[in-house]
Amino acid sequence: MTRTVPHRGSGGRVVAALFRFQSLFGLVAVFVVAVVFSPRHDGALLFLDGDNLFNVVRAVSEIGIMAVGMTFVILVGGIDLSVGAVLGLAAVGSAVLMVDSDFGVFAAVAVVLLIGLGFGFLQGLASAVFGIQAFIVTLAGMQIARGLARIWSGGQGVAIAYGDGPGEAPLAFSLLGERTFNGLVPIPALIFAVVAVVAIVFLRTSAFSRHMYAIGGNEQAARLSGVPVTRVKVAVFCICGFLAALAGIVHAGQLNQGSPNDGFGYELDAIAAVVIGGTSLMGGRGSVTGTVAGALLLGVLNNFLGLHGVDPNIQLLVKGLVIVVAAGLQRLRPAG
Amino acid sequence: MAQRRALATVFALALTLSAACGTTSENSGQNPQPGAAGGDACAGPDGTYTIGMSQANVAEPYRERMDDDIRTAAAKVPQFTVEFADAQQDNAKQVADVENFLTKQIDLLIISPNEATPLTSVVAKAYNKGIPVIVLDRKVDGDAYTTWIGADNVEIGRTAGKYVAEQLLPNGGKVGELRGLAGSTPAKERGDGFREGIRGTNIDIVTSSDGDWLREKGQAQADAMFTANPDIEVVYAHNDPMAEGAYLAAKAAGKEKSLKFIGIDGLPIPSGGLKAVEQGRLSATLIYPTAGNEAVETAKQLLIDCEEVPREQTLTTELITIDNAATVYDEANS
Repeated sequence: MTRTVPHRGSGGRVVAALFRFQSLFGLVAVFVVAVVFSPRHDGALLFLDGDNLFNVVRAVSEIGIMAVGMTFVILVGGIDLSVGAVLGLAAVGSAVLMVDSDFGVFAAVAVVLLIGLGFGFLQGLASAVFGIQAFIVTLAGMQIARGLARIWSGGQGVAIAYGDGPGEAPLAFSLLGERTFNGLVPIPALIFAVVAVVAIVFLRTSAFSRHMYAIGGNEQAARLSGVPVTRVKVAVFCICGFLAALAGIVHAGQLNQGSPNDGFGYELDAIAAVVIGGTSLMGGRGSVTGTVAGALLLGVLNNFLGLHGVDPNIQLLVKGLVIVVAAGLQRLRPAG
Repeated sequence: MAQRRALATVFALALTLSAACGTTSENSGQNPQPGAAGGDACAGPDGTYTIGMSQANVAEPYRERMDDDIRTAAAKVPQFTVEFADAQQDNAKQVADVENFLTKQIDLLIISPNEATPLTSVVAKAYNKGIPVIVLDRKVDGDAYTTWIGADNVEIGRTAGKYVAEQLLPNGGKVGELRGLAGSTPAKERGDGFREGIRGTNIDIVTSSDGDWLREKGQAQADAMFTANPDIEVVYAHNDPMAEGAYLAAKAAGKEKSLKFIGIDGLPIPSGGLKAVEQGRLSATLIYPTAGNEAVETAKQLLIDCEEVPREQTLTTELITIDNAATVYDEANS
């Protein structure tokens, strides 16, 4: 962000802007394709059906929330493979605390968010202080979170039933599965939007974010110029763990259950959203805006392929190709 | 650049809101079908029908076969078009799959749920819109579905136990058990049923380990089992792949001739249990029906014949030995 753009003509600037917002253009393109080629029913475009768009943004919320945290970690040159497992742990935690331990909604949510934060903190410490590669630390963290979730749940999904009695979760938690503003907005999407806006503002305005970009650009140089590298890195992992736990709470609310197998493979979807969003896996370059667009792009694509009944195996191929193309475009992108 | 970023943010939010705005028009424009939930879908033999089949995980051979059975059976009904979705063992994905079907306004939903509780509300949503719902294999909570078709795992386990007691070890003996995934209902039921089947005999289950339904896990667990309990005579595995894994472990230890193996599922596919019995690796397997044919038959009754169907349809199992393996395989694939 603080780097100066190398001098070039206005044509170069346009090209640079195109690449910077590739995921937005990609999103618009996929959206247009989805509209144009939408299956029809009595002449109406099914893709633009209100319930369908509602499903798209709701389905994308959990991955989106995680992907925002993932963007932070990747910006400092790290990676967090544990987010899917932490989502599972948080979903189990929400269910067990409310159903078995009779916690209120706020107490349960607070405890689960703290667990996510603490988990991220430990991973950050291991990575930043002891210098173990983030890939290895969070690979181990993934196993540990999954194991904890299995132990905590007794190996089975914990169903969330609502009511006032013992063994029932407070009715307020069921809001996560619902809509607000007169049934206009799914609450998970609202949470995603708030997380995204806060993250975007934070990245644009805080000194902390300048430190993040500096570390991701050149950690050694950042350290020498007085950036508190260790502290920033630990904090970034905390944020990522916190958001993964938040996604897990949303997940439990959506499915009325916390299962230790929840969120399996979600870390890859989150990373995919970040990569499609144009954030460099080398660190130092990227934006939350891009990630949000990347997550929505994947969501629209999933929905489009699903509506067309495309063979699930072909769907995997298509999504893989989209990721490769997005990453390939980044290679062509001019520096700055 | 700041402006561009702001624009980007606005766009992202706009997409969220566009979803929101669309919802109102949808709500006012759509009238759910009148009459009882799941009841009025029948338009007789002159109608054409789109059926949505939501599968929990096609990567499991049993579920792949279920889809295949539905595909084959539906191809014989000219009024039916079936669309398939695969949730890849993810509850959230399966919810989205069913929602996509609802968007496409399918006429009937067949679902083989990944897990009961997380799928309950979306199944109820379909049912309450007037779409008949056929639930296969695993159930959902509550009663917002038209009919459930599946098999009785306790009965299957009991039949396996009786077969071991009467045919393999009439004078008693020691059995090693390879269990399905811990915490899953079929693993519990197949284990409990077997214990009922051998009750009152001199048969002991001397060791039990979790094979998680997987061939490679069954093999590794059987390796340990044969080392720790060299006097085991029969291996009872909760599915055929684990039984095959145990056979491989026994072969590596040079024991495959003296041991007997039984599995469950009996899939009529080249890599399935029927062939394993026919080729002599397994002594027996028990058919766990996919319910695919029955699902299409039920769909026909609901949509074309306008008939009532029972709430629960429990399918019977069949004991497969070397005597009938080849015949049953051929019948299933004819």
